[in-house]
Amino acid sequence: MSTNFSDFFSLELVWKRIPELIKKIPITLELALFSFLVSIVVGLLIGVARYKKIKVLGSVATAFLSFMRGTPMLIQLYVAYYGIPAVLKIFNSWGANINVNLVPKLVYAFVALGLYQSAFTSETIRAALESVDKGEIEAGTAMGMTYPQIFRRVIIPEAIENALPGINNSIIGLIKGTSLASTCGIIEITYQNQILAGRDYRYLEGYVALAIIYWVITLILERVFKVVEKKTRIPEQPKELAEV
Amino acid sequence: MAILEIKGLSKKFNNNVVLDGIDLTINPGDIIGVVGPSGTGKSTLLRSINLLERPEEGSISFGELKLDLPLKGNGKKTVKELRMHMGMVFQRFNLFEHKTALANVMEGLITVQKKTKEEAREIALKELENVGLLEWQNHYPKHMSGGQQQRVAIARTLAMRPDIILLDEPTSALDPELVTEVLNIIKKVAEQGYTMLLVSHEMDFIKKISTRVLFLDGGKIIEDGSPREVFGNPKSARAREFFAKMNKLKEPDYII
Ligand SMILES: Nc1ncnc2c1ncn2[C@@H]1O[C@H](COP(=O)(O)OP(=O)(O)OP(=O)(O)O)[C@@H](O)[C@H]1O
Ligand SMILES: [Mg+2]
Repeated sequence: MSTNFSDFFSLELVWKRIPELIKKIPITLELALFSFLVSIVVGLLIGVARYKKIKVLGSVATAFLSFMRGTPMLIQLYVAYYGIPAVLKIFNSWGANINVNLVPKLVYAFVALGLYQSAFTSETIRAALESVDKGEIEAGTAMGMTYPQIFRRVIIPEAIENALPGINNSIIGLIKGTSLASTCGIIEITYQNQILAGRDYRYLEGYVALAIIYWVITLILERVFKVVEKKTRIPEQPKELAEV
Repeated sequence: MAILEIKGLSKKFNNNVVLDGIDLTINPGDIIGVVGPSGTGKSTLLRSINLLERPEEGSISFGELKLDLPLKGNGKKTVKELRMHMGMVFQRFNLFEHKTALANVMEGLITVQKKTKEEAREIALKELENVGLLEWQNHYPKHMSGGQQQRVAIARTLAMRPDIILLDEPTSALDPELVTEVLNIIKKVAEQGYTMLLVSHEMDFIKKISTRVLFLDGGKIIEDGSPREVFGNPKSARAREFFAKMNKLKEPDYII
């Protein structure tokens, strides 16, 4: 009896699997988008608090960052998955009236993913703020600008340029991180693959197809980020000569 | 009538007394050169006058405005008002990197003086022309030479019509061949009737343009007079030593 290579691996099946997985891409992207929003909001709060050396917030933030970085993301997902309903039930026992079963699983996942990522994003943001030239801040101060004006008009544009590469990396990290949400029962592309492979036992083809999809998404995003990053940089050329 | 009156200004860094009870009265039109050895507090004096540093003692008065130190309750508002009368030119230019030359000059006009964009633009263009950089208006600082950047910084300061301009070693971060173009602009500004406090190691330049020279040492003003008095006939041994050393440095043997 001869064994055929296609018994182990069939490229054709990979191509066939891809369109079926793509159907769930909206869930993957939605999850990544919401996680990103959570990460950027929390990351901004913590990053700015640490930049401004706000004491109370600072030490709370330090403990939070240490926890988020010192525990696996998968465990954090489970903690959120079981923890958020538990917290809501406690609220209910205090008289709130939240239907725990109506909170979609997606929420647990993007809160967990977003908080995890915020631990890194906050550091990106803090470093970006700190690398803004102190001399420019002094120049603004000396001419009588208020701190909020300086923050908005001098610090932010420079910090965005500094932070953008890190933030863009975090988006790619989140896209890949969404595959963990399959363990919370969310049918995104990774879970979809498990369902399909459970029927025909074509796990290898399925995972290869999955890898290709993640890779293509990442490639597209990297292209987009390059354009966006270029926009925030100081142009290589002077601005078009304006009419005097 | 004095334009700025400083009394008993003292500033410590940790336990290091850097300004030790400075009294200084500045009159309109004064071009004051501030000289002295490195580390005697010249920069600290300028930075304290517009409150980039916070002196612990003394007072700063500008006409009706009076700021008593240390800062209290409503001091912050007075600080901002004081700053609106002063302009500062830094050693390292400190232009806003993300703004064009024109936008740099317009910035304070819009955010601090609340002028409209059109008004700000008109003033800014005039000031850029004044420093000879009209055609550089759309360039970003990183595409300009140090000398050009410092000229934009001077235009940015002049655009605010300050009553006093504080310049802290405006040419010492420049390559030697760029120093003259900036000194020429400063000379022009002095001739336009501005009041200036200029810290510099360019002794010849200070001699030429100052109406008054201060020699600072150990956090105190120990010489205060016309350039002729201070350079020609200093009262203190410290100043004599310092000028002798500066003169020696100029002798050709010392230039490698
Ligand atoms: N932010 C600071 N923290 C601590 N010490 C400082 C600070 N700024 C200045 N000093 C100290 O204060 C003293 C005076 O410094 P300052 O910069 O005012 O001198 P300077 O006369 O401008 O010198 P130079 O000619 O080198 O510019 C120095 O001993 C310096 O080390
Ligand atoms: Mg100095």
